[in-house]
Amino acid sequence: MSTLADTEALLQRVNAKAPAGGRVQFVETMPFGSKQQLERYCLANGLSVLLLFDDSAPVVSYHTWYRVGSRHERVGKTGLAHLFEHLMFNETEHLPAGDFDRKMEEAGAESNASTWLDWTQYNAAVPKDQLPLVVELESERMAHLVLREPQVASEKEVVANERRYRVDDDVDGAISELLWATAFKDHAYRWPTIGWMEDIQAFTTSDCEEFYRTYYSPNNATVVVVGDFEREALLRHLAMAYGEMPAAVLPIEQVKPEPPQTAERRVEISKPTVSDKLAVGYRCPALGDFDHPALTLLSEVLFGGRASRLVKKLVRELEIASEVRMFVGPFRDPGLMELTASARDEHRAEELLAVIDEEFARVCSEAVSQAELDRALARFELGMLSGLETADSKASTIGFYETVLGEPGAAFARLASLRRQTPSDLLRVARRYLVPEARSVILVRPSGDDAGDDVEEAAE
Amino acid sequence: MSASAARDLVVEADSSLPLVHFSVSLRTGAALDPLGADGSSRLLTRLMRRTAGGRSAEQNDILVDGLGAACSADVGSSSLGFSGMVITRSLPKMLELLAEILSKPELPEAELQLLKRETLAELEQLKESDKVLARRWFARRFFAGHSYGRPSAGTPTTLASIDRAALRQGYQRSFTADNLVCCFAGDLDNSTAEAARKTLKSALPPGGVPVDTTGDPQGVNGRRLVIVDKPERTQTQIVIGCLGTHTSDADHVALHVANTVLGGTFTARLMQEIRVKRGWSYGANSSLAHERRRHAMTMSAFPKAEDCAPCIALQLQLLEAWHDTGITQAELDSVKSYLTRSHAFNIDTCSKRASLSLDEILYDLPAGYYKDYLARINAVTVEQANAAIQKRIHPENLLIVVVGTESVIGGPVREAIPNLADSEIIPYDTD
Repeated sequence: MSTLADTEALLQRVNAKAPAGGRVQFVETMPFGSKQQLERYCLANGLSVLLLFDDSAPVVSYHTWYRVGSRHERVGKTGLAHLFEHLMFNETEHLPAGDFDRKMEEAGAESNASTWLDWTQYNAAVPKDQLPLVVELESERMAHLVLREPQVASEKEVVANERRYRVDDDVDGAISELLWATAFKDHAYRWPTIGWMEDIQAFTTSDCEEFYRTYYSPNNATVVVVGDFEREALLRHLAMAYGEMPAAVLPIEQVKPEPPQTAERRVEISKPTVSDKLAVGYRCPALGDFDHPALTLLSEVLFGGRASRLVKKLVRELEIASEVRMFVGPFRDPGLMELTASARDEHRAEELLAVIDEEFARVCSEAVSQAELDRALARFELGMLSGLETADSKASTIGFYETVLGEPGAAFARLASLRRQTPSDLLRVARRYLVPEARSVILVRPSGDDAGDDVEEAAE
Repeated sequence: MSASAARDLVVEADSSLPLVHFSVSLRTGAALDPLGADGSSRLLTRLMRRTAGGRSAEQNDILVDGLGAACSADVGSSSLGFSGMVITRSLPKMLELLAEILSKPELPEAELQLLKRETLAELEQLKESDKVLARRWFARRFFAGHSYGRPSAGTPTTLASIDRAALRQGYQRSFTADNLVCCFAGDLDNSTAEAARKTLKSALPPGGVPVDTTGDPQGVNGRRLVIVDKPERTQTQIVIGCLGTHTSDADHVALHVANTVLGGTFTARLMQEIRVKRGWSYGANSSLAHERRRHAMTMSAFPKAEDCAPCIALQLQLLEAWHDTGITQAELDSVKSYLTRSHAFNIDTCSKRASLSLDEILYDLPAGYYKDYLARINAVTVEQANAAIQKRIHPENLLIVVVGTESVIGGPVREAIPNLADSEIIPYDTD
């Protein structure tokens, strides 16, 4: 392990030849689990750098997390963050179209990207001797992307096809999109990350150029490197590759908090499904909220695995559902706990909802048992450990918590918080968040049923 | 970190995380399900997992969750068994549970009936996935008459015919000590793994490895089209395939390399022509499956309904061009670089390394298949790659499966396929 004096000496050497914007400052060291140390550095132009040395395999994972997601879009321009993620694999000032992917592949890279409500991230995992190439390619596209009309037009069509695949022809995707659009009226979480189809098809090259100039800058990004690297060489390379980029003036985000919901919203639609489906969205606190860990465990008690209360009840005992699950949103702002269920045979979505309501009333009136809580915690712990097996999954974990919470090692703090939860905590959050008046309900009928051929919405 | 691999034990020790991956497998799978009893191996293993130790399914689920473990029943054509992971502190109890799962299952009638009903509901739900439908009907029609074409999950008809006696016969057929292969990866040492292997073997009745008499599939003659008709589709799912390779073929690796040029990467021909140049489909690729017997080579894409026919026409043109003129030296050099360097991510965790060793055993791969992988990739010449395409791939004998709305796509798709021998329409809700 290096000392602070070692680090200072190292940075003196690195900074001796770095451009002004690339001068590296050491910020802090923090534990990442019980065995590893995560180091934070910052370049003068605002680029955050997080390094986790891990020589368990001769590979390196390099992630670039931008603090821009679909929440930063506006009405009429939805889906721009995601479309832009696609465009980032195109031509740059120093690389003809296609060269980025070709060079990555020839380096043996596993390379991809993703966009969600709060962020956009690009990842490349390479054999360790290929790390310099990734630094060159990622820094190149942060500042020197070239946007041309034919590529933008083609990529819009690809994204439209992705939307058809994930939403328009996918019942579960379509239901989730409708649920969020029903639950949110003011906050930017109300539109889907992939965007509305008419917005995708209407984007212009200048829309994309403006988005790039606004959000793709070193002071709006964090580079996360995990794996078997040589620290001084890497920091020197980062300083040189990113150091000439100026910091941008980032726009003030026009956040519109969602007003309190005081009555249930209910929508009924028909889709080509084999049976009824149900989706329910309950209000969920932000990931950084004190209540989020308790709600995560409550969700596990109710829906986590076959021994959970509602899977057991709906799938096994009553045999009225083929599957039921809940997802607790891990977002920067308050989001949704998204409950989805598929009815079995001729059973109706309302039957499922009645059973769910009964069980929710029970967890709001009496505390769950310590044994249930312990099992929920064990399931979470197993999931977390299995998510830390590769350099790439560690980089994802670090980048995610850094971008959403500003705390790159928060995965372990969260585990500690989960371990502190008691049945009383779960009772408290059940009463606070499982509120029927603040939920949105989507009922889906198989096409051809009489019950709901068109969208009907109950007014609030 | 240490590794060992006997033919019935694979161990990859790594204590960096307090986690152990496990797999206890039998070298026989759904291919040996009796005719008319498709789904019996899957029912058997799931029932064993649920009712181990004479406990109820709920008691076993509570037990597994409480251990900080996950354990699933897995059934493929060539193997079946139980796999999962467990937090190290619970490994001894998980091993006890695995021994109970393997030994003398009671197979209670009530749980069997409940499991059958759940399976039927799951089969219904699968019809909602167009991708699953495309793959299902490709397998059924391409491997018609062969065990690879039989649904390992069964159908309503076959499930109805399976009773406890059939499951007991399945247990006696497959669950024998000599047929067991144990695989462990993670936070345990070789002696713990060796002791576990002994315990698990002793939980099974004695007996040898059943003979797998499955032959090579024959594929299809001519170009045949199957349209899986589903209403309200804005998009289609396309799978096009022919017979592929066997891992023991001398030109197996050469064909693998050549396929990577056609559709194995983002810069491959299919992705460049279909997605990058035309924006027709979010994904477009080709792959060579490997099983214990010869399997298929398939191309897939999912364009919107209006682009379906031109997309199929383009896929066929690209396949024919790849077949007729082969790959270039530059393409070969590029994919060799990709395949050899990216191999680092096939072996960067203990569980991945163990999984490769297990694959060699369960699929009867040539000894050292993965150990010599890089050398064999690097040895492929452009002449060998192109000869492998010529020898193994026959673009005149193809099955083309499309999931979409037949009234919209049917006519244009039939016109887009030169030398189409016959076509079939299957309603999407067919069991």
